[in-house]
Amino acid sequence: MQLIKISSLILLSIFFVFLGGIILDGNESESVISGKPFPVFQQKTLDGKDISNKYFSDKTVLVNIWASWCITCLVEHPFLESLAEDINIVGVNYKDDPKNASDWLTKHGNFFTVNIHDPQGNLAIDLGVTGAPESFLVVNGKIVSHIIGEMNQRKWEQHFAPNL
Amino acid sequence: MHLIFKIIGVTLLMLPQLVFSQSQEFIFENEEMESRFYALTNEIRCPKCTSGSIASSNAPIAEDLKRKVYEQILSGKTNDEIKAYIVDRYGEFADYRPSFDSWNLFLWLGPGFFLLIFGYLFFRQQN
Repeated sequence: MQLIKISSLILLSIFFVFLGGIILDGNESESVISGKPFPVFQQKTLDGKDISNKYFSDKTVLVNIWASWCITCLVEHPFLESLAEDINIVGVNYKDDPKNASDWLTKHGNFFTVNIHDPQGNLAIDLGVTGAPESFLVVNGKIVSHIIGEMNQRKWEQHFAPNL
Repeated sequence: MHLIFKIIGVTLLMLPQLVFSQSQEFIFENEEMESRFYALTNEIRCPKCTSGSIASSNAPIAEDLKRKVYEQILSGKTNDEIKAYIVDRYGEFADYRPSFDSWNLFLWLGPGFFLLIFGYLFFRQQN
């Protein structure tokens, strides 16, 4: 009888641990990249200028991974545009054709302070990116928040605004 | 009729080859490097997928990570250094063979621990 009770208790505990893993949204769990310095990089912007990680050393910026082929990027675009009134937004144009990216910005609006061109996704991998869109809050060269997927009011208030 | 079944059978057998042919082509200097590449890509979990290694995935991020593993093998990095590179960016989640350290102690010893408890309780009950 005691064996059944203890076994049930242990199995129930294991069940709840797995249930928690299923319920918790992996996209919103704490990113391993949070708390680390912005990765060292040296790349070109979409308009052909040099840019490196030094750009971030004395600023508070929202870094957004986007691409012209990314539908969700288009969905979050109006919300990011509203944020751009209060915070600098740096784009990382992810695995995209520069012509398509420029056309996309002309069509949908360009509020980005600067756009880093990342055709191979090398900077994105150093940021632990799994796809587009993703966003990071970078304060004085340090990554303080990271979300995967669409940026919206709820995610902004929950993950980014408290760290400003 | 038999011919149709033969064609379907051969097509099914060729499916993995067709899928693989869409992936990037990796050329190695020797067999040791190649076997390291396959071992590593089977031990690194695709961060975009629900489950599965980067070797078994054609997701863009899995393709990129395979390319990174390939580049790092060619540049002379050890398996541990390559794993550390991935874990540093994607966390322990990305490692199908987590390291045996204090952080993962429960993961490694947990099953044995539970087996001992269950075994002890079972035999006590029997006696």
